[in-house]
Amino acid sequence: MRQAGSYSGILISGKTGPHLLPLARIKKIMKKSGDGVKMISGESPIVFSKACEMFIKELTQRSWMVTMQGKRRTLNKEDVASAVMATDLFDFLLNLVSEMDTSKSS
Amino acid sequence: MEHGGGSGGGFNRFYKHAKSTSGLSIVYGGSSNSNNSNGFINNTASTNNGNAANSNTMPPPCTVREQDQYMPIANVIRIMRRILPTHAKISDDAKETIQECVSEYISFITGEANERCQREQRKTITAEDVLWAMGKLGFDDYVEPLTVFLNRYRENENEKTSLRAEPVLKRGIDYGSPIVMAPPYGQPGFHVGHHQGIFDGATAMGGYFRDGSGGGAGGGSSSSQASLTNNFDPFVQYK
Repeated sequence: MRQAGSYSGILISGKTGPHLLPLARIKKIMKKSGDGVKMISGESPIVFSKACEMFIKELTQRSWMVTMQGKRRTLNKEDVASAVMATDLFDFLLNLVSEMDTSKSS
Repeated sequence: MEHGGGSGGGFNRFYKHAKSTSGLSIVYGGSSNSNNSNGFINNTASTNNGNAANSNTMPPPCTVREQDQYMPIANVIRIMRRILPTHAKISDDAKETIQECVSEYISFITGEANERCQREQRKTITAEDVLWAMGKLGFDDYVEPLTVFLNRYRENENEKTSLRAEPVLKRGIDYGSPIVMAPPYGQPGFHVGHHQGIFDGATAMGGYFRDGSGGGAGGGSSSSQASLTNNFDPFVQYK
């Protein structure tokens, strides 16, 4: 199922233009991600644009499952946090989702 | 809580930041960033705040959300909506959370890829490094589709440089349905890849189906085309 979603993205996204996510921005984020990230091949942001799309879809889908379990129709931040906690793959996000409570603005 | 247009809620939020801070930092964020919606917001913010913000009062970073460290929220929302049912609503804080998660994801993978480059004493992070890092960090389900995607992109680039696009029909695929081609699309990437079974005949699958995955392509993927680039079918409904 997940595979299907990722392939269909390759089809559908052609409709919206070259890439769904801006390559320059991706490159900027890559450069900030560690010391010594100096040079990035031209293809890397392209791979990331697709990978991020897949990532967003997966995270959203898992979060939505939590929303549905709560019989709600609005996906909120806590749903995202629950999805992160329930998925080993998203362990790297644990700090991010738990930190957010402290910097919440309203 | 805004629901209808994804970026609307985002705008409201940024506006709020503008009011609560001097708007300066938003200007900083905006000026380094040639993009779309942020630029718009920044203009609004700075005019509202009036004071020639050019003085040096940098607001504490934690009250401001630097937009250029994230993917544009409108794009993130657009991708989310593709996955969610139509009636689903997304809270503003969920949108921002996911926006931040994406940046974290990029950093996470890049960090690992970079370490590998350093170990191997290479200076440039390549797409292969990125893919390797994803596999290593548990995103192995992504590796194959991304590899397909990357190969398509490369083939497309090669075609662009070596020849102008050939009409798809020349490839002997007769799907009788609109097949959009090539050069206008000269973009890396959104090529029709494998998809099992979608055929309204609408997609020219070319090379992939030669491998006998049959699919519905009518098997017509003929000729010698090793790659089917620049074809995609905007009408395919595949989920």
